[in-house]
Amino acid sequence: MTIHRTIKALTVATLLGMAGQTASAQEAIRIGACLDLSKAYTFVSPQVAQAAQDLAKYVNQSGGIGGHPVEIIVRDHGNEPQRGVECYEQLKREGVFIFNFLSTPVTNAVLPRAMKDGNIVMQSFVGRGDAVDGEVFKWIFPVGPTYWQQAANDVAFIKGRLGGKLTGAKIGFIYLDYPFGQEPIEVLKTLSKAEGFDLKLYPVPLPGSDQASAWTQMRRDKPDYVISWILAGGHVVAFKEMKRNGFPIDKYLSVNWLNEVDIRNIGDEAAKGILRGTNVAGGQEVPLVKTLLENLYSKGQGSGPETSVRDVYYNTGLAIYAPAFEAARIAIKKYGWPLNAEKMKDGYESIKNFDGSGVMSPITVTAKDHGGGGKTRVEQWDGKSWVPLSDWSADYTDVVWKLIKENSSKFKVE
Amino acid sequence: MELAFLAELTANGALTGLLYSLFAIGLVLIYKASSVPNLAQGALTMVGAYLVLALARDAGLPLWAAIPLAAVAMFGLGMGIERVALRRLAGRPIVMILMMTLGIDIFLRGTTLAIWGGTSRSFDLGVSSDPLFLGDILISRINLVGAAAAVLLFVVFVMFFRTRLGTRLRAIADDYMASWSVGISVERGVGLSWGLASIVAVAAGIIWGEIQGVDQSLSLLLLKGLTVAVLGGLDSIFGAMLAGLILGIVENVGSTYLDPLVGGGSRDLIVAAVLILTVMVRPHGLFGRHDIERV
Repeated sequence: MTIHRTIKALTVATLLGMAGQTASAQEAIRIGACLDLSKAYTFVSPQVAQAAQDLAKYVNQSGGIGGHPVEIIVRDHGNEPQRGVECYEQLKREGVFIFNFLSTPVTNAVLPRAMKDGNIVMQSFVGRGDAVDGEVFKWIFPVGPTYWQQAANDVAFIKGRLGGKLTGAKIGFIYLDYPFGQEPIEVLKTLSKAEGFDLKLYPVPLPGSDQASAWTQMRRDKPDYVISWILAGGHVVAFKEMKRNGFPIDKYLSVNWLNEVDIRNIGDEAAKGILRGTNVAGGQEVPLVKTLLENLYSKGQGSGPETSVRDVYYNTGLAIYAPAFEAARIAIKKYGWPLNAEKMKDGYESIKNFDGSGVMSPITVTAKDHGGGGKTRVEQWDGKSWVPLSDWSADYTDVVWKLIKENSSKFKVE
Repeated sequence: MELAFLAELTANGALTGLLYSLFAIGLVLIYKASSVPNLAQGALTMVGAYLVLALARDAGLPLWAAIPLAAVAMFGLGMGIERVALRRLAGRPIVMILMMTLGIDIFLRGTTLAIWGGTSRSFDLGVSSDPLFLGDILISRINLVGAAAAVLLFVVFVMFFRTRLGTRLRAIADDYMASWSVGISVERGVGLSWGLASIVAVAAGIIWGEIQGVDQSLSLLLLKGLTVAVLGGLDSIFGAMLAGLILGIVENVGSTYLDPLVGGGSRDLIVAAVLILTVMVRPHGLFGRHDIERV
């Protein structure tokens, strides 16, 4: 059931009258959104926070979840792990048991505490790749593809483009030389051995402005495709270097963190051909986005500027929070109020074929797989919009899950 | 490694290094006059770039008008910072002054974030990204323009320090007590150096903004700029120019060799190693005054 239909059903249920629930109906489902609103991830966090608040506002206007309003508590952790932990501890004392940090270092810092406390961490699109192993990371929900799965899907796409064979091919990997950028290296190395392609690594120091020597080497190496794990302005620098070094832009396959602002900074026309692996459906034609535009923004009730809704990171925010809302709905329906972490966990693990009203590929979360399938697709910028070049798919899942199990078993020992 | 490739790495490293020098000149100007390493120079560079963008893109002024206007505004900002925040710390321990510049850095970053947000904005100086080959060597046009700007600023400051006003600044740098006693306004001199450093910040902000876009990460230039300034000698503009060249080449060539061996990350290591070795072996840098020494 999509969130839109869920909301309609909930509204009807509320209107029919849920006698005896008046007191509990005033209690809110509280989600702690401890985000980086001031440092490294300011290019994405505001859109995600806005999407979460819009979704909550719309659901609340429609009667809430099981009659309970949703409250998104937004705090800034500045991408500093100790501040993230502080935010977690503070909100935990206030009774919050569902958290989102949208930062790999902060999530990694909070993860052991949340595991010990038995609190839910929404870890979509960031953090350690093995956290999808629900048998080990019982309280962590990286719903959507991890960086490992996304990189594997990118390789499968390239294989398709090169005629179904990677033997003798050369794939470059340009990445920010810190944990975010280094995440996919293990998967890529494993696939390089399995598929027989030559993997070339091009590390770039933070913040990604100094790529000259990487592209000089690339001009010599002449990779068939380049997978890029770079953020924000780094894509603009990469574009200039590609132009300077004569590297075709349609062989540059970016991580999902490439948005409309980056395209604008490169230039709509100039960016024509650039590829992006994505985990959400972009644009305003997505039914859930359309619903929010019609019900909130057309009435001047949006939680932020309407321009942010035209950003793929807004859709990313919806894709992070819609599964949490769905999990809460299932949990309340199944066990009734009050909602707690245990019920919420079960709600998550009962999500089946849920696409957040078109905002992502359908996911099915289980007790074993907290990722929900890990499907992505590749899109190409045509000068005006993103055109999908492939269907939603998850490839090399055996390879990825082998790595997941290897790594998650070490976590148990630690 | 073939010779042409090595030559290209060296040439591009040298050009990038001169861009570091462009930034470091601002640090040197303030250090020369007040013996304060300005930890807010990165944030000033970012503010300079944002101001030019605001005047050019938001207010619709042509670049040729926006840049000098921003330079005038930044000159005022630099003078203002010295007058309001630093002058009252005269005679206080150096660590207090350092903390003040750190505070200014945080304040400026926070203010720009509140006004312009965290999203990267592109900056177009009109420099083409098309390939430019000198023989077999591919050169980055914007780096070439930035390096030329650094050399031009260097020449301007060499000439400026030969003028009457420049001589006063040199006198302050040499011995501020003696300058005071002969009637030179040390406060005004230090204020002027902050103003000039802020103008340099505009130049560095424009060039680096064109290269990487304008956002908070521009303030991160401080680490490399500081390394260049320390290697050059903190109070020597010529030293900053030469140190920029050295650091740029060592970093670019060195990391190309080292990265495949150590699995990446050598670029920052090289910068850190240069900084540590300079402080250990030659604390006054290549051309700094010998009184900058270890205790």
